[in-house]
Amino acid sequence: MLPDRPIAPSTLSVKDLSWQILWNRDKCTLCGRCTAVCPVNAIEPGVFRKRNVTASIDPAAPPETRFSLFYGIRQRTDPAYACVGCAMCSLVCPNDAIIPARNDEADKQRFHINRGGQPRRRGGRRNQPAGILDRIKFIRISMLTDPALDAGRHEFELRTLLGRVLPPEQSLKFMKENGWIPPVREIYPLVIGGMSFGALSPNMWEGLQMGVAYLNEELGMPVRICTGEGGCPPRLLRSRFLKYVILQIASGYFGWDEIIHALPEMKEDPCAIEIKYGQGAKPGDGGLLMWHKVNKLIAAIRGVPPGVSLPSPPTHQTKYSIEESVAKMIQSMYMAWGFRVPVYPKISGTSTALAVLNNLTRNPYAAGLAIDGEDGGTGAAYNVSMDHMGHPIATNIRDCYLNLVTIGKQNELPLFAGGGIGKQGNLAANAAALIMLGASGVQTGKYIMQAAAGCIGSESDRCNICNIGRCPKGITSQDPRLYRRLDIEKVAERVVDVFLAFDTELKKIVAPLGRSTSLPIGMSDALGIDDYHAAERLKIKYVI
Amino acid sequence: MTSSSQYNIISGKKDGQRIDSRIMEETIQEAVALGKRYLVVKAYGQHGIGGRLWRAGNEPVYIKIDGHPGQRVGAMGFANTFIEVMGPASDDVGWLNAGAQIVVHGNASNGVANAMAQGKIFIAGNVGARAMTMTKRNPRFDPPELWVLGSVGDYFGEFMAGGIAVICGYNPQRPDNVLGYRPLVGMVGGRVFFRGPHRGYSQADAIQVPIDDEQWTWLRQHLATFLEKINRSELLTELADRSQWQLLVARKPHQRTGTMRRSMTEFRRQVWDNILGPGGLVGDLTDIDRSPIPVITRGELRRFVPVWENNQYKAPCEAACPTGIPVHQRWRLVRDGCIDEAVDLALAYTPFPATVCGYLCPNLCMEACTKQEAALPPVDVTRLGKASVDAAVPRLPELSGKRIAVIGGGPAGISVAWQLRLKGHQAVVYDEAETLGGKIAAAIPESRLPADVFAKEIKRAAKVIPHVHLRQKLDRSQVEQLVEEYDFVVVAAGARKARTLPVPGKQYALTALDFLAAAKQGKAKVGRKVVVIGAGNVGCDAATEAFRLGASQVLLLDVQQPASFGKERQAAEALGAKFRWPVFTREITKSGVVLESGETIAADTVIISIGDMPDLDFLPEQVTVNQQGFIEVDENYQTTHPRIFAIGDVVRPGLLTDAIGAGRRAAETMVAILEGRRPDPDTRPMISKQRVHLEYYDPRMVNLDDLDGCAGQCSSCGSCRDCGICVTVCPEGAISRAEEKDGGYSYRVNDSKCIGCGFCAGACPCGVWNMVENTPIG
Repeated sequence: MLPDRPIAPSTLSVKDLSWQILWNRDKCTLCGRCTAVCPVNAIEPGVFRKRNVTASIDPAAPPETRFSLFYGIRQRTDPAYACVGCAMCSLVCPNDAIIPARNDEADKQRFHINRGGQPRRRGGRRNQPAGILDRIKFIRISMLTDPALDAGRHEFELRTLLGRVLPPEQSLKFMKENGWIPPVREIYPLVIGGMSFGALSPNMWEGLQMGVAYLNEELGMPVRICTGEGGCPPRLLRSRFLKYVILQIASGYFGWDEIIHALPEMKEDPCAIEIKYGQGAKPGDGGLLMWHKVNKLIAAIRGVPPGVSLPSPPTHQTKYSIEESVAKMIQSMYMAWGFRVPVYPKISGTSTALAVLNNLTRNPYAAGLAIDGEDGGTGAAYNVSMDHMGHPIATNIRDCYLNLVTIGKQNELPLFAGGGIGKQGNLAANAAALIMLGASGVQTGKYIMQAAAGCIGSESDRCNICNIGRCPKGITSQDPRLYRRLDIEKVAERVVDVFLAFDTELKKIVAPLGRSTSLPIGMSDALGIDDYHAAERLKIKYVI
Repeated sequence: MTSSSQYNIISGKKDGQRIDSRIMEETIQEAVALGKRYLVVKAYGQHGIGGRLWRAGNEPVYIKIDGHPGQRVGAMGFANTFIEVMGPASDDVGWLNAGAQIVVHGNASNGVANAMAQGKIFIAGNVGARAMTMTKRNPRFDPPELWVLGSVGDYFGEFMAGGIAVICGYNPQRPDNVLGYRPLVGMVGGRVFFRGPHRGYSQADAIQVPIDDEQWTWLRQHLATFLEKINRSELLTELADRSQWQLLVARKPHQRTGTMRRSMTEFRRQVWDNILGPGGLVGDLTDIDRSPIPVITRGELRRFVPVWENNQYKAPCEAACPTGIPVHQRWRLVRDGCIDEAVDLALAYTPFPATVCGYLCPNLCMEACTKQEAALPPVDVTRLGKASVDAAVPRLPELSGKRIAVIGGGPAGISVAWQLRLKGHQAVVYDEAETLGGKIAAAIPESRLPADVFAKEIKRAAKVIPHVHLRQKLDRSQVEQLVEEYDFVVVAAGARKARTLPVPGKQYALTALDFLAAAKQGKAKVGRKVVVIGAGNVGCDAATEAFRLGASQVLLLDVQQPASFGKERQAAEALGAKFRWPVFTREITKSGVVLESGETIAADTVIISIGDMPDLDFLPEQVTVNQQGFIEVDENYQTTHPRIFAIGDVVRPGLLTDAIGAGRRAAETMVAILEGRRPDPDTRPMISKQRVHLEYYDPRMVNLDDLDGCAGQCSSCGSCRDCGICVTVCPEGAISRAEEKDGGYSYRVNDSKCIGCGFCAGACPCGVWNMVENTPIG
C-alpha cells in the first residue's frame, strides 16, 4: 500500500497477515512462475523504487542522491488476497527464492475475513493439529503368552464385516420365517470416506476409484470407497467396479434419479448404501455447491441443469422422527436392490449418538452405524462449524460400543468411525486405536487427499481453500487448468501405496497382539494412555 | 568306518527309567572327554543329542542314534561330529548347526536346519514345516547343506540367508507341491535345487535361474554322496536327470522390485478403460482433455491472460473533466514533439482551451491526477491551456444543410454551436447581450482572465460560428417559431436572474452578477467596508473585485462552511477577505447587515451572492421546468420536447467546464439523431489508479515549469507510452511490438510462450496491460 493514503480498519500490513512471503531478491530470476501459479493472487510482480544516497568523507565531494528501480515480488495485504501458505510459489521457483512463512504471532488477518458481514468459510479440518488418538498406545504385546506373529511373514486376513450379523439362532429363525437374512459384506477395514464428484475434481475422483479397483482386482484387497453426495458417473454404475462402491444418499439427493435409472442395467450390486445425516466437519449444517461450479460434467452426474446452485440442506425434509428416519430410509434403500445391499446411516459425532444407535439395534435391517467425529474434513464449511462444533470420535465410538456390549449386540451391529484419522499422519495407529475402542472399521477422506494427491491443507490452517475452486493441486477444482495437474494414474498408484503401507502398519500393530485372522475390535485391554482422565473416560489402561 | 564293536553304547534308560536330557548330555560329553569317538545312543526322546562335541578337538566323533531322538538332534553341532539317526527325527534337526553332518534315515518333522550355518543334513524322507529357515552362510566356512529325498513342509526357507537346499521330490508327501506352502518368504541368500511340482514361492524374494554346467556338476556329484549316505544309491539314475531339476536363488538387493504387479498404466488401459470405455469414468459425458499438464502452462491452459488495453479506459484526468478532454493524450503529443497537435487537440473538445483550461477552470483533471495518489504533484494542465491561446481555427467540413438554433451565446451555447459546426451542421446563435461570451464576458474579473486571451478565443469561435444574432431577446412565440424553422433548438440562456434574499432591506444590496458586470465595465463603485452574503466562488470574485475597486475590508458571510475553493478563494484570501459562518441574515439596512443573533455588521456596500436563476419565460409549454426552476433534461440534455435541448446553467448551476461538456454531449446527440443513429456516448470506464505504477517517478521532482517537463511527468494512465518495458520484463519473451497498417503500433502476446505471470501488467508504467482470467473450459 502506498503510504500517502488514509488507512481503514481493515488496512493490514504484511506483518498482520497469517503468512509472510519471504522473497529473496538476490536469488530471484524474475521468471514469473510464482505469480503465475499463486492460487489466490497473493503475490504480484512489483516495481520498486530505490533511493541511494552517497556522501563522501571528502568534504569537497558533494553528496549525491540517485534513484533506481528494480522489479520483484510484492505481497498483497488486502485480506481478500491474503497468502494462504500453500507454497506453490516455492514449488515452482527454480532458485528457491520465495517461501511463505507463518506469522510468529497470532495474525490480525483473522479479524478481517468477514467482509460484508460474511463469516469466514473454508475447507479442510478443524484447526487443531493434536488429537487424543495419537496419544493412545498399544500396550499389550504378546510376549510368550500368545503365538507371536510376524507382520512381515504371516498371512493376515484383515477384514471386517459391514452388515447386520444376526446371532446364529436368530439367523436360522430369520431364514426360516422370512426366507431372508440381512446381507453382510466382508470388506477392508479402511474405507475411503464420502467425497463427492463435485467437491473433488474429475481426475481426483477417477484416480481414487481406479486405485480402489486396482486394490481389489490386482491385489485382492476388498477396499471400498464411498461416493459422497453428488451422484455416481453412469459408466461406473453400469460396471463391475460398482461393487467396490458405497453409494451415499444425502439430503440433496443429487444424482439419485440417475442411479435409479441405472438399476436395470447394473451388473453388480454396490457394496452398500450410506445414508448421510451428518458430517463431522460441519455437524448440523448443510452444503451449497455454487452455481458457477456446476459445469456440464457435474450437472450431468448430479442430474441437474448446469449453472444452478445446488443446496444440500442440513436435514432430510421428509423425516420427522428418529424412528421414521431410521425405518423409512433404510427400508426404501433396501428395496432398491432387492434387499441384497446393506444400508446404514452416517451421522456426525454427537452426544446423542446413543439414541440413534439404540434405534438401529431394534431395526434388523440396519447394517451398521458410521459416526464422523469433529476432526472430519470438508470441502466447504463455515469456520465456526469446523473449529467449534462436533463431538470427538474416540468417546463417541467408545460409548456406542460399550452400549452394544451392554445389550449384547457388539458383534451384530458394526460401528464405523471417521473424523481425523491419520490427522498427524498416523493412519494405521489411529485406525487401530479406534478399532480397539470398538469400531469395526474406519473411514478417512482427508488423509487420502493428502497422501494420494498431495493435498497441502493442514490443521495449522495452511491452504484450506477447497471451497473456492482454486485448489492448487487440482483436487477440489472443476477447472481443467487446475485439475489436470493431477495425473489420474499417479493418484491411483498412491491410493495403492497408502493401502499397502497401511496394511503393513496395521499388521505391525495387531501381530504383536497375536491377531492375524480377525480384527481386534473392542480389544481395549490392548490400549493405554498417559492421561488418567482420558483412560477413565475411555475405559482403557492408564499408563505412565 | 569302524566295526560296531568299537561303539560305546549310551542308553537313554537307566534302571528302566528314561534318563533326563541333562544326564544324557553329560554322559555323552563325558564319553567324548574320555576319548570315546564312536557312540551309539539309544534315545528315548532326549533333547539335543550329538551337539557341542568340541572336547574331541579335531578328531571325528561318530554318533549313531537308535530309538527316538528328541528335538534338536545335533544342535550346535561341531564340524567333527557325524550323526546318523537310524529312524525318523523330531523337530529342529541340526538347529544352529555349526558344522556337524547329520543323516536321518526317516522323515524329520518341523524346523530342520533352522538357523544352521555350517554342516550338512541328509534326510531320507520328507520334512515338516519351516525347514531351512534362518540359515546362514559364514564366509569363513563352506555353506551349510540340507538334502531332502522327499518334499518339504510349509514355510520352507523363510529368511534363508545362505546355504544350499536340495529337495529331490522323490516319493514326496505332497505330490503336487514339493516346496510346501509359502516357501522362501524373506529369503536373502543361498540356493534351492528342487525336483517336482510346486505351488509358487515368494517372487519378491526368490528368483528361478537356469542350472549351469558347473552347478549341475556339483549337484550330480553331491547327489551321489547324498544317496550313498541314506543308502539309496539305486535312485541315482532316476534322480540325475538334469531336465527335472530347477534352481531358485535369492534375489540380490538390486533385483528386488517389491511385489510384482501390473503397472497402473497397464491396469488403466487393459482393465479400467476396457470396462468403462474410452475416456474412462466420464468419457461418455465430456470430451475435455484430462491428461496431465504442468503447473506452469502456456496458451489456452494459462489461468490468466495479459491484454494490452491501450486506451480502453479513460484516464482519471479525462474522466474527471466534464468537457471530456483527454489531457494525457495532449501530453503524449507534447512528448512526441507535436506541440501544435497537442494544442489543437483541445479544440475538438472545447472552444475555450486557454480561457477555461488555462485560467478559469478549477482543473478537476489535476485534482483527479493519479500522481496525487503518491503525493506527487499533478501535471500542470494550465500550461497547456495557456499555450492554446494561439491554436488555429480547425478545418471545418462542408455544411450539411441542417440548422440548429442556439439561444444563448455563453460558454454552453458557444460550445454546442462549435461542436455542431465541427460536425458540419450550421448553428445560429441568439443572445440578448451585446457580445458573445455570456458570463465569461460579463462577470469574470480581468484579474482572473487577461482580456486578450478571451478576445482571441472568442474571435476564433466567431470564425467557426459566423451566424450570431446579438441583442435578441426572444419571447415564447419567437422561440416556437425557431422550433418550427430549425432542426433543433438548444436553450443555453444561462442563469441571469440573480437570486436574492427574502429579507427586509434587500434593496440596499447589490447582486453579485450585477456588481461583477458593472465592475467589468468600469461602472461599479464600492464603499470602504464591503459585506458579501454568500461565500461561494462568485462571492470570492466579488470580494476580489471589491478590493480592486478600493474596499479596505471585505467580509464574506455564509450559512454554512463556504463552498468556495481554488483560485477564486485564494485570490480573495490573498487580498485580505475574511470569512464568517454560520451566520443568518435577518435584515439589510443602510448601515449594514443585521444578523439573526441581533448583531449588526457595519457595511458600506452589501453584495448578495447566493446564486443565480434562469429566466425561462420564453420556453414553449412542452418543455418541463422542475420545482427548482431549472429545465428538466435527460442524460443527453434533451428536454421533454424532443427537438429542444437545454445545457448550461439553465439545467443546473455548474462550472464553465460543465457547460462546455454539456454542449458537447448535446451536440453529439443531435448529430447522431440527424445521422439517424442512436447517440453513442463514450462509456469507457475510468482506469483503476492502482494499475498505474508511480514508482517510475522521482518523488523529489517538483519542477513542472515547462511543457516538456510536464509531459515527461504525465503517467499516461491507460495509454501506452511505447516504452517497451513489457517486452523487456516478460520472462518468456512473449511480448512484441507490432507496427499497424494505420501507422500506429500495438503490443502483442505470443500465447504459446506466455505463462500468464503478470509481469507485463506489474511493470507497465501506464497500467495498459491487464491480466484477465482465461476463458473457462468446460
